[in-house]
Amino acid sequence: MDVKLRIHRFVEGRKWEQDYTVTLKTGMTVLEALIEIKEKQDPTLSFTCSCRSSICGACAVRVNGNAELACEMLVENLVKRYDTNELIIEPLGNFKVIRDLVVDWDPKYARIKKIKPVVQPKPEFSKETGCKQSPEDFNKYKKYAGCILCGSCVSECNKNSLNQSDFLDPFVFVKAEKLVADSRDKSPEEHLKAVVDAGLWRCFNCQECTAKCPKGLDPAGAIEKLKEATFAKKLDDNVGARHAKAIYDDISESGTLDESKLNIKSEGFLMAGLRAPMALRLMRVGKMNPLDKHKVNPEIETIRKIVKNAEAAAKEAE
Amino acid sequence: MATEISRRTFIKGAAAAGVVLAAGTYFAWDGKNIPEKVKTGDVTYDVLVIGSGGAGMRAALAAAERKELKVAVMTKLVPTRSASTMAQGGMNGVTGVSDPTDTVESHVFDTIKGGDYLCDQDAVEYFAERAGENIYEMDYMGYPYNRQKDGAFHQRKMGGHSHPRASYFEDRAGHAMVHTLFEQCLENNIDFISECQMLEISMDGDKLNGVIAMDMRTGNLIGVPAKSIIIATGGYGRVYWVRTSNPYSSTGDGIVAGMNVGIPFKDPEMVQFHPTGLSANGVLLSESSRAEGALLINKDGERFMSKYAPERMELATRDIVARAIATEIEQGRGVGEGIHAGVYMDFTKIPAERIHERLGQVYDLSRRFAGVDITKEPVPIAPTCHYSMGGLEMADFHTGESRVKGVYVAGECSCVSVHGANRLGANSLSEVLVFGHTAGDGAAEFAKANSYVGSQDSLAKACDKWKTTFDKVTTRGREGNKSVPEIRDAMINTMWYKAGVFRDEAQLTQASAELDALDKEYEHCYVGDNSHVYNTAFEQYVELGNLLQISHAIVQGALARKESRGGHSRRDFPKRDDANFLKHTLIFKDKETGKYRAEYKDVVITKYQPKERKY
Repeated sequence: MDVKLRIHRFVEGRKWEQDYTVTLKTGMTVLEALIEIKEKQDPTLSFTCSCRSSICGACAVRVNGNAELACEMLVENLVKRYDTNELIIEPLGNFKVIRDLVVDWDPKYARIKKIKPVVQPKPEFSKETGCKQSPEDFNKYKKYAGCILCGSCVSECNKNSLNQSDFLDPFVFVKAEKLVADSRDKSPEEHLKAVVDAGLWRCFNCQECTAKCPKGLDPAGAIEKLKEATFAKKLDDNVGARHAKAIYDDISESGTLDESKLNIKSEGFLMAGLRAPMALRLMRVGKMNPLDKHKVNPEIETIRKIVKNAEAAAKEAE
Repeated sequence: MATEISRRTFIKGAAAAGVVLAAGTYFAWDGKNIPEKVKTGDVTYDVLVIGSGGAGMRAALAAAERKELKVAVMTKLVPTRSASTMAQGGMNGVTGVSDPTDTVESHVFDTIKGGDYLCDQDAVEYFAERAGENIYEMDYMGYPYNRQKDGAFHQRKMGGHSHPRASYFEDRAGHAMVHTLFEQCLENNIDFISECQMLEISMDGDKLNGVIAMDMRTGNLIGVPAKSIIIATGGYGRVYWVRTSNPYSSTGDGIVAGMNVGIPFKDPEMVQFHPTGLSANGVLLSESSRAEGALLINKDGERFMSKYAPERMELATRDIVARAIATEIEQGRGVGEGIHAGVYMDFTKIPAERIHERLGQVYDLSRRFAGVDITKEPVPIAPTCHYSMGGLEMADFHTGESRVKGVYVAGECSCVSVHGANRLGANSLSEVLVFGHTAGDGAAEFAKANSYVGSQDSLAKACDKWKTTFDKVTTRGREGNKSVPEIRDAMINTMWYKAGVFRDEAQLTQASAELDALDKEYEHCYVGDNSHVYNTAFEQYVELGNLLQISHAIVQGALARKESRGGHSRRDFPKRDDANFLKHTLIFKDKETGKYRAEYKDVVITKYQPKERKY
């Protein structure tokens, strides 16, 4: 069977889409298809790859709108998944494109630096005798140590698409959680503070990073864990944390959200005041009435039980 | 055209602003990558490391401990894409945490015996004495070691070792090492000169000018002045192309650059072949397959290991099994065609649950790349080039210096020689730590004691020369010229069939002649891309040139070594010959004629007299 690859090209300022056809072979990965095109059809097609065993992260691209490691993705499976013999190959999203499928990593490294990316060992440890850590403590962060820096999570991050300047890439949060959860580190607060300052609470919670991570690392889960840690480490004096706290309080007190107080609780009276025009509009269309007494949900006991169960389950999961 | 409807699609639909801005993220690169001072030539590095694998980054960190020094790491991809990342097993070092009876002496002996007595024993002692401390140090740097109950890292036993001494992170020991070192390099503000393909080391006589590289992102040729350089560019498994477990980037660039300035290539013929790579693409199926009971079967359904190792069968050592498989294929009892020919590895006698439980990765890789469900049918495998024991001669293992002043070497591209004729599992990662560290210290001390002696004019001239080459080869037409991949494929055939698992005089002589002919074709080969930004076609042209030179060195080394030892197996000389070949091959490339010549250097023997290797 022939498969058509429509590849997004970008060479020295010129941008276009180009179609190539390859004959499907057993075990043919997207990377092998790209290599075949480069070697037999068009030497100008550019992309990067190295290990071809899904551990170096060099070959991540977008296939039909989803980030994949080209080296591990069988063309055959994609043809089945999308029920088509036409695949669209693009560079990763939310990266600058250098050429064709090659993207720019340097700005990303600069962002990793922001979180002080290394363990700062506790004073009882030394270079000569290493550190100590229980297997249980190791288990707390080992998953996040599996990040291969392929960029798939960033590619699909909706917050990153909207604005990168006030939000880190999901893999940087993964790295941060690895450090914060590592019992060898003497000051998890330091990494945590950096992460809060760099946009922890601005995550959209869309879970795309988790859905796209080829290593199954759950960056969105890492972001949640970091948020939890901000409460445990008393770094919760910020809009995001207060907002979360307000929602939690509302749900456990009345079972519903009191939107009229939510902003005041999150941002403080003064800042919330700046939102007065929006409040007025809401009132005008009958979406919010500050004079109404906020009703308690009649199912409040059931809701409290759910919250309690969820908390117990979260604890268990640790 | 069907695309997956995801939450992303939904959210994009909902947030119009998001869509507008998301479209805006597909924008052109603004041309900034490597430090501005590098582009303008306004920096002279004290220590310039080439290669961002384990050895390179460990070296950079060691050098950067002297805060007054300017240290940079240059790499042809971006950091963390190196071959070190692929290492699975672990890193050896005697610490006694898991087995208090382990000793440095035992590590030394295991390594020497494993290396078939071609190791320099003084170097192995230096290595084993320091391997343990480097493991502790990595712990302090944040390496995610798997732990044992008492809180220490756990150590496991690898093939050929008499004690458990390999510490690790799951089955991704190398990946964790590279990332730990990279994070340290970021934190210590080491300059990264990413995506620059090193083209040559520039020297005038014995004066080091620096390094010439192509900045892949602009196509500009840059000369980076340096007082000292460390070559840490890794191995050259891609000489065998699809018949290697190495990444695409392992093309021996640093070794060739080193040879061109007079550093000999030590023991190039010592290539390790792992018996069980997938026939399809060389990707490794772990040794644990055979340990768990997978059988090797030829085309006729015969369990052929009974002919080669009747007692140990599939569990014989790597070299024996690799040779057995190669023989079966050669004698027409293999399956598949040409370079993809192999034999079957049969897992069907192993209960499916056990396969899923213990051989998850093997199951995955077979399924993915060969389209085979190993719980139901056998998978075709063949030997695959795994590691290069040889490399640029490290003249002094206390400093990492080569015989060219100011040029240091470390990692798989170097030959200390610790691994001799055959490397033991988990010794490579500890080698890159120990000698990366040493070379970093060595180069830093050299840079402190000496001032820059090179010439920026010479660097500029060398850049111009490469610019001419670039223009010439990239604008050349297809007519009558072979393409880079065509020549490469011919090279692989020569190397795999005539200088692969088995060698003999007639085949090696023929290989040498074939390589000469390929050199001629290479001179006017077709590259096919003349744009400047990220021209990977030109990069592959450069890499092929390097692979051809490495091939010559392997063939010359293999021709001269008329014995079989470790990874080197001569059909016409099947026995080890200590009387004549207890010595290292040194292949020199003549600067004027480009010809190769072999010299020899005695193996350093301290405590352990060579004896027959039996397991």
